[in-house]
Amino acid sequence: MSVAWQFYISTVLIYLGVDVMACWGLNLQFGVAGLVNFAFIIFQAAGAYTAAVLTLGAAKSASQGGFQQYIGGAHWPFPLPILAAGLVGGLLAAVIGSFAIRRLRSDYEAMVMLVVSLIATSVATNQVGLVNGPNGLALVPKPLSTIVNLTPIGYQWLFVGITAGVCLCVYWLVHVVTSSPLGRTLRAVRENEPAASALGKNVTGLRLLAFVAGGVIAGISGAILVEFISAWSPGSWLYPETFVYFTAVIVGGSGNNLGVMVGALLVPVAFLEATRFIPQFGPPGLIDALQWIVVGVLALVFLWFWPRGVIPERRRRFPPASPAGAGK
Amino acid sequence: MSQPVDALLEVRNLHRQFGGVRAVNGASFAVPPGRITGLIGPNGAGKSTALNIIAGALRPDSGTVLYRGKDITGLPPYKVARHGIIRTFQVSSEFAALTVLENLLVALPAQRGEKLWQAALGKRYWKAQERANVERARELLARFDMSAKEDEYAGNLSGGQKRLLELMRGLMAEPALLLLDEPMAGVSRPLARRIEQHLLELVAEGLTMLMIEHELAVVERLCDPVVVMAQGRVISQGTMADVRADQEVLDAYLIG
Repeated sequence: MSVAWQFYISTVLIYLGVDVMACWGLNLQFGVAGLVNFAFIIFQAAGAYTAAVLTLGAAKSASQGGFQQYIGGAHWPFPLPILAAGLVGGLLAAVIGSFAIRRLRSDYEAMVMLVVSLIATSVATNQVGLVNGPNGLALVPKPLSTIVNLTPIGYQWLFVGITAGVCLCVYWLVHVVTSSPLGRTLRAVRENEPAASALGKNVTGLRLLAFVAGGVIAGISGAILVEFISAWSPGSWLYPETFVYFTAVIVGGSGNNLGVMVGALLVPVAFLEATRFIPQFGPPGLIDALQWIVVGVLALVFLWFWPRGVIPERRRRFPPASPAGAGK
Repeated sequence: MSQPVDALLEVRNLHRQFGGVRAVNGASFAVPPGRITGLIGPNGAGKSTALNIIAGALRPDSGTVLYRGKDITGLPPYKVARHGIIRTFQVSSEFAALTVLENLLVALPAQRGEKLWQAALGKRYWKAQERANVERARELLARFDMSAKEDEYAGNLSGGQKRLLELMRGLMAEPALLLLDEPMAGVSRPLARRIEQHLLELVAEGLTMLMIEHELAVVERLCDPVVVMAQGRVISQGTMADVRADQEVLDAYLIG
């Protein structure tokens, strides 16, 4: 394989890893617990900023040759910035959840989330001192790049390995939740909140739990992304990005971890990558604009004709009683 | 029946207003243990509001709810449920995308693996209890003649089967007091008789119930005592015979 192809494939694999993680996180919130989190992307963004700031080191003033302003700069070794990103994603979810989820019904909740997403973009853009305003952060050092001595392509594959490792950890988390009695209770909350609470389930606490877990995962996915692309700005996380993830979850199969993995492969990766290979036509920017339209149409078509997605949530069957003496 | 001092549940002077409407306006009654207490009255009498207040779904404007002598007024529904007070709903409230068996399993209180740290310990930690719970749920399904529907999505059940599921799910939650909001509403006559039979068996096993019911013949067969509400107040209570003899009750039903 030529080096160019290796670069391309490893890059796509890393994006795939990031998108799969994000979709698992959103699936935990939306597919399993029924939380319509239209602000999902800001938790990824919060993780990305956290990882970037904690890798960049302290901000320098312009006289020292610094060209970006941000708060809380530090130079933490890998993998601490990624863990911190998960923590910040979770904390942000706890804060936003504590007003948006405790009190509101799901339709209002969705609107509040959308507004939160818009406000967050506006704050990050206009509070220049926070994370360098509209220009965003750039030249984020790549993890381990000073320690390991690899060719650029070797480093690419190392990063694929890191991403895969983080993906496995995230999968473990979503798997233990969805396969356990906790997952069943969360699905019950999704189906009928008053009935679940009448059975003694702390509905608010459970929803908040799913929200925070999804926030942690989103934060980690953002950290991996920023460590790879080395830059992050408000343009990377505008609210329509959330709808790409929603479309992926819906197309893949809301409530099914394998399904949303396929969804991540089909929508953000295959679909958006494929457009690179379409010959240019029309005025510049037309293809990009059409992408958004097609993603939206795709979500609508699936909601209308295949609301359960390509790989639907599976039906849990329980094995028949074991004969006497068998089992523990 | 005389007012027992050791009522399981007692509501005192409940008030609840919606806008200008006094839905419950000073209702007081008691639910003695080991019996089915009937809560009847014309439409708009405040029965469902009273039940919702007991279950924690609504807060009263004033008044108290005592359970085993303990004040539980205004607790959120899940805390009321954790005291062993389990309610069913007038409209079916099944978890539609869960199977019938899963609907029952969800209802069990304090399951292993229902907390995040327990789930993180892995299947090994909760598997044994889960298996026992599945068997319990299957016994209940067999008792209610619903075994064949075990793996069916609850949303695909017929209206009558959903009513049975509602009752079974309430029983899985290990109730000490079951609040039934018209458990036979909209079901066929034969199924209604079956549900009646189940309720009689349950009360014979010592379960206490408070039941809202419109069909007076059913109330007559199942309930003692009977509490009659009209316009937010309790206008009569006693055995069905006592209540029938009460002129105020007759008036309420004619006017109400």
